[in-house]
Amino acid sequence: MSERIIHILVSSFTQILIPGIKVTIPLTLASFAFSFLLGLFLAIVQVANISILKQAARIYIWIFRGTPLIVQLFIIFFGLPRVGITLEAFPAAVIAFGMNLGAYNAEVFRSAIQAVPQGQTEAAQMIGLNYPQTLIRIILPQAFPIAFPSLFNNLISLLKDTSLASSITVIELFTTAQQIASRTYEPFALYCEAAVIYLIFSTGLTWLQSFLEKKLEWKTNEKYLNAAKPE
Amino acid sequence: MLEVRNLHKSFGTNEVLKGIDFRIDKGEVVAVIGPSGSGKTTLLRCISFLERAQEGTMQFGDRQYDLPHTSNREIREIRADMGFVFQSFNLFRNMTVLANVMEGLVTARRMDKKEAEKIAMEMLDKVGMQERTRYYPDQLSGGQQQRVAIARAIAQNPQVLLFDEPTSALDPELTGEVLDVMKKLAAEGTTMVVVTHEMGFAMDVASRVVFMEGGYIVEEGRAKEVFSNPKEERTRQFLSRTMRDYEYSV
Repeated sequence: MSERIIHILVSSFTQILIPGIKVTIPLTLASFAFSFLLGLFLAIVQVANISILKQAARIYIWIFRGTPLIVQLFIIFFGLPRVGITLEAFPAAVIAFGMNLGAYNAEVFRSAIQAVPQGQTEAAQMIGLNYPQTLIRIILPQAFPIAFPSLFNNLISLLKDTSLASSITVIELFTTAQQIASRTYEPFALYCEAAVIYLIFSTGLTWLQSFLEKKLEWKTNEKYLNAAKPE
Repeated sequence: MLEVRNLHKSFGTNEVLKGIDFRIDKGEVVAVIGPSGSGKTTLLRCISFLERAQEGTMQFGDRQYDLPHTSNREIREIRADMGFVFQSFNLFRNMTVLANVMEGLVTARRMDKKEAEKIAMEMLDKVGMQERTRYYPDQLSGGQQQRVAIARAIAQNPQVLLFDEPTSALDPELTGEVLDVMKKLAAEGTTMVVVTHEMGFAMDVASRVVFMEGGYIVEEGRAKEVFSNPKEERTRQFLSRTMRDYEYSV
């Protein structure tokens, strides 16, 4: 490798990393938070069998899973101004990513909720819990650990998909790499560098996932059990 | 205290209960026995509205209900006075033993936490699980889980306790601890309906035995009479078959 390329890689590393930290990560987290809540809502209206909302949820999922993410992104950022809704690039990206992933997370939550044994609901009913109480106290807490690996999978996908936001003028990690690549005429080096930074971020997420998965087990630590003898 | 009349229940075209008349008085322990598929469990599940009967009426306390048309509010009111112990325990996996027993009191009955904890501890003491309050269900044996499930049911202070094959999912060496708890409750005068394959328990503890087969109650009577001198041929056959197994297992 020539000294020039090494110099470019070193000097551009922080230039790319900073928008990665300041834009890509917030964009990922905000979009994911939105998709999480939306997915949860879409799943609950389906399992709770609220007929009109259930139909609406199925149609929503059908559309958002059935069309490309970049098309959705373009409709929201470039298309909506035509009907009088003009959004800044960053919120438009959050909405597009959130709405798209919400459809996927809805299916993750729905299957996780359905994986909680029916007996849990019956036991809750027999001690007098109503349906919302059963959902909040029993079903969702048990569905969440089931959903968790798939949700995290979607989060890691989303992290990488946020690079599509470069196409609607969001200055994030990949946009910055593109700019430097065209300035220096070193696309190979720069895009590899961008890939490495994405890889660093997703590795961090993978570690976080295995750390959190251990926290999700319902087990009282043996040490704690022995220390805390009931009086 | 609880009486159902002319209870019919079908799943699709398969009629499981074909007109059941069943009653239990305060302080009675009724054992419901019979071969698999005879409708015993379905009877219990219809009484507690976990299944909806197509026909029949129920009297519970001084109130009368039409089973197919009982409202959700009425069902909640009925269940408030009923405890149900499941074959598969159904403890809430996301809660500790103590939280399982407190849940109905705190969330459904809006009881003060301190007071609920006091009641829960009393109940866990009664079933011999007071040392395991901080454990999660997955950390307990089946017998221990079922004892906690009984504590959870009696914490609601029900008028009647319904047991759906409470020892069928247990290893043989663990059934004793659960049956002991049930014997203790029976001795305290708890009103209990027990669907069971434990003939020994039915013989020793039940005040009355109901024998079901093919969706009908074939015979019922005082436990000693049904076991020593069954009137119906089908009861006799069933008993001779199961008692032989019972003797082997002893």
